[in-house]
Amino acid sequence: MTDIKSKASIGFLTVVADAEHGLFGGYLVVNPAGRPLEFHCTAPVKPNRAQEILYGPTLEPYLYGEQIGQTLVRKATHEVLAVCTDRQPVLAVRDFVSVPVALVLPPESPQAVPSATELDNSAFGLRFNLPHAGGRLLTFELGKNRLAVPLGADSDRALIAERLDPLVNGFDLLEPFQRIREAIEEARRGGAAGQWQ
Amino acid sequence: MAIEPKPGLNGLSVIWSWVPPAAPEVSRVELGLQVEPFLTGWNRAIARGTSVASYEVALKQAPPRVVTIRIRPPAIRVRSFRFPTPLDPALSPEAGHVGQVCAPLPVSGGPATRIAPPADVVKLEDRLHYLLQPPLEALLASHRLGFPRRPFPYQLTGIAFLYPRFSAVLADEMGLGKTMQAVTAARLLVHAGEVRSLLLVCPKPLVANWHREFALWAPELPVAVIEGDQSRRRWQWGLAEIPVKIANYEVLQRDREVFEPDAAGRRLHFDLVILDEAQRIKNRASATSQAVCSIARRRSWALTGTPVENSSEDLVGVFEFVSPGFLSPQMKPTRMGQTVRDYILRRSKDQVLAQLPPKLFRDAPVELTPEQRATYDLAQNEGVLRLAELGQSATIQHVFELVLRLKQICNFDPATGASAKLERLEADLEEVAASGRKALVFSQWVQTLAELGRRLGRFSPLEYHGRVPPSRREAVVRRFRDDPDCHVLLISYGAGSVGLNLQFAHYVFLFDRWWNPAVEDQAINRVHRIGTEGPVTVTRFLAIDTIEERIEAILAQKRELFETILSGAEGGCKLGLSEAELFGLFNLQVPTSVASAAA
Repeated sequence: MTDIKSKASIGFLTVVADAEHGLFGGYLVVNPAGRPLEFHCTAPVKPNRAQEILYGPTLEPYLYGEQIGQTLVRKATHEVLAVCTDRQPVLAVRDFVSVPVALVLPPESPQAVPSATELDNSAFGLRFNLPHAGGRLLTFELGKNRLAVPLGADSDRALIAERLDPLVNGFDLLEPFQRIREAIEEARRGGAAGQWQ
Repeated sequence: MAIEPKPGLNGLSVIWSWVPPAAPEVSRVELGLQVEPFLTGWNRAIARGTSVASYEVALKQAPPRVVTIRIRPPAIRVRSFRFPTPLDPALSPEAGHVGQVCAPLPVSGGPATRIAPPADVVKLEDRLHYLLQPPLEALLASHRLGFPRRPFPYQLTGIAFLYPRFSAVLADEMGLGKTMQAVTAARLLVHAGEVRSLLLVCPKPLVANWHREFALWAPELPVAVIEGDQSRRRWQWGLAEIPVKIANYEVLQRDREVFEPDAAGRRLHFDLVILDEAQRIKNRASATSQAVCSIARRRSWALTGTPVENSSEDLVGVFEFVSPGFLSPQMKPTRMGQTVRDYILRRSKDQVLAQLPPKLFRDAPVELTPEQRATYDLAQNEGVLRLAELGQSATIQHVFELVLRLKQICNFDPATGASAKLERLEADLEEVAASGRKALVFSQWVQTLAELGRRLGRFSPLEYHGRVPPSRREAVVRRFRDDPDCHVLLISYGAGSVGLNLQFAHYVFLFDRWWNPAVEDQAINRVHRIGTEGPVTVTRFLAIDTIEERIEAILAQKRELFETILSGAEGGCKLGLSEAELFGLFNLQVPTSVASAAA
């Protein structure tokens, strides 16, 4: 456990949708004190019309998780104990990375997680969302934080609880996403164009 | 397969929807059936032979045409930023909490004080480094860094202001905790690995106070006070393993050569230099200013409750250290205020401490006693006459001497000891003592304080001024605080205007007025600060129809200047106590010699 505390870092991954430019991905790696170690952000990603039609409801998990999420997580040089996200489609990144991924839920809005019943009653959900986005979620609490993993990812839940529990006491896991959004906005304003890799 | 065609009816199209693509080749087979018609005569046509017509249709279809759409994954272009690895030594679980522990700072859902990149940080990577720092509340909580008490929200704002800045002036009103804010911001920078060597420069009487404050707010940081003889000081300057060094201004002047490059071109360098009471370097030509500005450093912070004491040039002097060349004396105050806006943080108690008890000002105009009036008028007439006789050879020194003489008469008549102010003060102190409260009485003269000490014996007054040895001063304050019979502390502006915490007193009497309202404010703030219980009453004595009234008018103008620069408000200002104004106190013109020397 000491090793985890002294060497560990946590990844925070989110995607910001901009109506004009497209999707901006941001990935922040922090140490247990919350201090930034590295930050990666994408140029705007915009799906074309064919992708929108053919991917249908699976487009978000594809772009958020498989494309943007995977690319960003692999850019990081620090190993992380877990990746946290505040966007459910980003959970799809779990199929492409070796660390557990958790969705951080707002404490006051339990309705943010669709219930299994809602999904079962939706032909839309049955047909696309469940297999791709892991529409059903398994929620759990860690300190004052509410987290969720895709239903069936019990091992991830156990792993996250074991790894993050010593660190998150007093740590608001939703807070870093605000930093990422501000940093993405700053990078957009700060003329990052032309410096993308 | 043979399908008999269906002819159209009455010219309409065929009823089958399917039409062979091309005219089929029709073959005809004669059946050769023998027909024997009855001779009815109806129609011989039916006597013709019977036959069946058929044709072939090919069922083989052409292959469907296929359109292939290639779906390539979108190109993901990434920009990466990597930041210095923080030290965060307090993070190991074995370290536990460092320092005393206050109630946990609010993290989840509470207010978040963010560190914003300063306007002069232009590199995107640097801006993001600050922008991506966690809120101070989270940082302080997760660090397990203890605090003797929970910082006020405005103090967290001050820490967030200082943290990212390489050039900063924290100009909070006295009593708001500039010390704590500077120590905590520096502490976080040390833990972030951004500061490894820190020099704190302060007036000599405050060295012990700063040492205590570091022990209180950053107990894990080793601190060295630069003191002793020259060889000892030289050894202390070289202590690289001690991250925090405290030196007073006089030591800095004496050890100037320490900051100059050695034969190999190496020089002592600090990641952060903090100047307390930075108004000490307002005169750019002074040896103190030059010594301070010669220190090699990365970050320069100035702490002062009075960045503008007399004129806007004071601020130019402070900025000569903070950001050399950033301001010039030619700037107009309004323009200067706009220029320094991102570099100065100034809060008054009224703005940030709604919970602080009120500060009640009470002007106490007094009529001089007949004895005082007679002496005063005589002295003034003689003095003015002498100045007039001196003519062009009159100097500012002559004027000062007269002003001081008249002000002393306003306090006590030298011949009889009569004092209208004392009579009023005694009456007020009776009330103070009866209520079990304590009061400070300020004067600029030790002689006046000594006279007050003799005349106010029944209130067990204590004295705190330049003639009280520094080694005894703390004992004086302790007794004033703890002895219920001691109701009055007689204190000089010079010795007691900075670095003293006397918030257990409730009354302040300004027996005579200082030249500078900022110094008066500092004096008042010894009492009116965090920890004050109940309102603070400030009584300002003013002898009617004397030099004190005329000086008061100039002090009001100085306050106006201060507000103009620090609030950015529009409006003119007049520089206080110029030569012309000094001579003008006695309706005299500035002699040509003085005017040309000043120019």
